[in-house]
Amino acid sequence: MRLTREQRRLRDDGTPAQRKAMQILLALSRLSEAERLVPITSAHVSGASYKMIGDPGLEFLEDFARDARVTVPTTVNPLGTDLRQWRELGIPAEFAGKQERIARAYESMGVRPSFTCTPYLVGARPSFGEHVAWAESNAVCFANSVLGARTNREGGPSALAAAIVGATPEYGLHKDEGRSPTVRVNVTTKPHGLDFSLIGLVAGQQVGDGLPFFRGFRGSEEDLKWLGAALASTGACAMFHLEGVTPEARRARTAGLPSLTISRADLVQAQRSFTDGTKADVIALGSPQLSGQELWSVADRVRRKPPRIPVWVFTSRAVRDENPEPVAAIESHGGRVLADTCLEVTLLEHRFGTVATPSGKAAYYLPSLCKQKVILDELDALLERYG
Amino acid sequence: MKLRGRGIASGFAEGIAFVIRVPFSFVGGADPATGTVLDAATGGANERLDGRIFAFPHGKGSTVGSYVIYGLAKRGVGPAGIVNSAAEGIVAVGAILAGIPMVDHIDVGGLENGDTVRIDGDRGTVELPGVRARPVVSVVLRNGGRILLVRRSPSVGTFRGRWSVISGSIEGREDPKSRAIREVREETGLRGIRFRANAAPIHARDGATMFVVHPFLFDAPSRRVRLDWENVEHRWIRPEEIGRYETVPRLPDVVAAVLRMGRES
Repeated sequence: MRLTREQRRLRDDGTPAQRKAMQILLALSRLSEAERLVPITSAHVSGASYKMIGDPGLEFLEDFARDARVTVPTTVNPLGTDLRQWRELGIPAEFAGKQERIARAYESMGVRPSFTCTPYLVGARPSFGEHVAWAESNAVCFANSVLGARTNREGGPSALAAAIVGATPEYGLHKDEGRSPTVRVNVTTKPHGLDFSLIGLVAGQQVGDGLPFFRGFRGSEEDLKWLGAALASTGACAMFHLEGVTPEARRARTAGLPSLTISRADLVQAQRSFTDGTKADVIALGSPQLSGQELWSVADRVRRKPPRIPVWVFTSRAVRDENPEPVAAIESHGGRVLADTCLEVTLLEHRFGTVATPSGKAAYYLPSLCKQKVILDELDALLERYG
Repeated sequence: MKLRGRGIASGFAEGIAFVIRVPFSFVGGADPATGTVLDAATGGANERLDGRIFAFPHGKGSTVGSYVIYGLAKRGVGPAGIVNSAAEGIVAVGAILAGIPMVDHIDVGGLENGDTVRIDGDRGTVELPGVRARPVVSVVLRNGGRILLVRRSPSVGTFRGRWSVISGSIEGREDPKSRAIREVREETGLRGIRFRANAAPIHARDGATMFVVHPFLFDAPSRRVRLDWENVEHRWIRPEEIGRYETVPRLPDVVAAVLRMGRES
């Protein structure tokens, strides 16, 4: 293992948190046979929802925050509730209190209180070829695939360790050879809206931890966000290529790779298999959190077709604050726009047994993480049914 | 005896082993307040991790497991040390956060509950002061998709009457492969066998003796076997039938390991 003089200093003479961070990175290097640590330009940390990390996580973060300080711009995943609306949501005060302590611990380490699963929508947009250390599977998939930045699928503590040291073990997706596709996926139908989530769900089930090279369709950044989020849920995918669209697709070599085909019938089947509920208690939009443009589009739709059941919209604090108009429109038509939190990591299950959502990622996680039933469908179709 | 593995988290620890044979999740697998094992699939429910050297194949499950390990150590109810066959990130990071010495690349199949174990996370070693190592070769002979099992004679020193493959002790600094070839010739009379693969040593315990088994795979030119005094019976079986035989310890693992290496090479 080759270390720089500064890295050796952190390992031997750093603060307790710096030494711990170095030990984590060195152990992970041994596990992955990385030969050095590569400098990073940003980090994104997971493990902030009290619902997910509980007292053990809170305890560690508060202890660690005593002397841990990040050295690169660092964002952090959503919390277990909206820090400003938890009373209205019926969140127990004890839960909210512990949640706030987690938020404060991260802030005192110098982490930006972004509480978002979409750091790429709030200004954390690494350039092509930049090395970063991101946790949160959808953000990892977006950074690698759409932006051409380089990150492995980090866990919460490993991303935090990288943020403290300013470097991460160089293996996997940090190297050219780790970014080559392993399977060709031909899509024979023209996707719209929900279809991008469905393609991700189907492809992830088939390619596992492989790296798919898609062809046969195009999509906007937002479309690819939904595709990547679903792909990284059913599969352990950290990256995909899309012919003619993503920045590294042209360089990717696909000759001789196994291939599979996804047709309209596969998408219809996937939608059916991820739907196990019959009567929705809430329409939930998020997972990942919505962009400003998506907020506008939701506002237009609920204005035209006000829903009879609650509509909960998840976004980041930054996006919510920048878009007061659609937020007001959604909230005056029976919706609620929540920030700091997101669909599966928020305390939602005590109020709603069945969730209707157009998110493939949510449809994958809600039944197991939150013991909820799911109806997976387009927002328009849901508003039609529950309008 | 001393086993050489890989250091994951630094420090030195000594304790009594708590060994399970299945992957372990600290989330749900152990009570975070008391360190009592909850997961019944481990075969060790209600055991306490407190002060033990906890040996298991590898971690699994939620990444919150790292924080649970930290919390156990902070409360003083965590394991004194951790030994894995193949570490993964969750337990490795947890051990580092918690300051619990950890070593991996140790075949935990050779450890037993109650063993006194010393682990050195800096050197990557695991010491079993009460156990003596005995290096042996185990040779899987293959012909047309079948492998040779032999039943050990009542006059051999260990595992009398059990089914095994061709095996023998390695003496001094002898090369395991030449010993393997010699054992085949002595115990079966077969000549012209061809080396196919070997695998990393597998540890099989018999009381205070640790058999360090060097597994080999050879192809045999025929099935005409002439047994010597060490074995009383032989059968050419399909590898998947091995479960029906009462074998020497860990023989199914030995067979699986070399067949896997044979396929890869």
